[in-house]
Amino acid sequence: MKLINKKNFISIVCISFTLIVCGKLLIEKAFGFTDVHYTGNILLCLGFSVIITAALALHFYMQRFPLIPVLAVQYLLVIGTTAGIVKAVDVIAGTATNAMWQMLLSVTIPFVVSAAVYYMAFFRQIKKANDILAEINREKA
Amino acid sequence: MRFIKTREEGLKENYLELHYDGMDSETVELIARLDTTLANVEGICEERHVSVPVTEVLYFETVDRKTFAYTDKMCIEMRMTLNNVLDMYSGAGLIRISRSAVVNVYRIDHLQGDMNMRTVIFMKNGERLIMNRGYKKEFMAELERIRERSVK
Repeated sequence: MKLINKKNFISIVCISFTLIVCGKLLIEKAFGFTDVHYTGNILLCLGFSVIITAALALHFYMQRFPLIPVLAVQYLLVIGTTAGIVKAVDVIAGTATNAMWQMLLSVTIPFVVSAAVYYMAFFRQIKKANDILAEINREKA
Repeated sequence: MRFIKTREEGLKENYLELHYDGMDSETVELIARLDTTLANVEGICEERHVSVPVTEVLYFETVDRKTFAYTDKMCIEMRMTLNNVLDMYSGAGLIRISRSAVVNVYRIDHLQGDMNMRTVIFMKNGERLIMNRGYKKEFMAELERIRERSVK
C-alpha cells in the first residue's frame, strides 16, 4: 500500500469517497431504506474521507516519531474534528440526542479498519521484500 | 552468448575472460554491468589510501558532510557524495534507504518491520540499519529491478 503524500492525496480521497458512497447506496438498497438527509450525508461522507485520509497522511510527515504516539495523534485529530463538526451542526440546525455518539462510532470504525489495513500492508510488504532478497541471494549463489 | 565456468585448482586469483568476434548489444550490456560490478571504491582508511571492490561494501553513509563506505573490516572515507556513489555504481545493487545512507542489496540478510513502522535492515555481518518509511517505495521498486536483472 502506498504512503499518502501530497501527490496522491486527492486520488485517495476520491477512491475512499466513492467506496463509502457505493457501500451506503448498497446498504440502503438492500434494506429498502430512504435517506431523508441524502445531500447532507453525502457531503459528510466526503468530509470524513478528507479528514481520515489527512490523518493517515500524517504518517508521511511524522516518520521520525514512534508509531503509538503517531496513532494517538491521528485518532485524536479525527475525533476532535468530528466532535467539532457535530457541535457546529448542533448549534446551527440541531441534532438528535445521540448524534455525537453515533458520529464518533461512524468515524472510529472506518478509522480503525483503515489503519489496520494500512499497517498490515506494511508487514506484508516486508515479507515480499524478504522473498525477493532470498531469490536474489539464491541466484547469486 | 555462452557462459562457461571452469574450475582451476591452485589459481591465485579468479578471473573472467571474454572471447568475441564482434561487439553485439548483449556483449556491450554485459561489459557495462561487469564494469560497475567489478569497480573499486577508493578512499582513506586509517590514514592509508585503500581500494576495495564495490561488492565488498555493506553500505555507504554520510556523516557531517563526509561519505563513508563500510565493509566487514574497514570504514573508508570517500571524496564523493551519496548521489555520486549511486550514479557511479548504479549496477552494483545499491539502494538508498534514508537521506544519509545507501545499502548494498547483495549484502542484506533480511528485513524486519519494527513497531514504529520503520524497516530494520539486518546486514550479513550482523549490523542493523534503519530504512525510513518514505524510502520504502523506492526501495521496493529498485529491489524488483535488481531481481529482474538477476533472473535474466
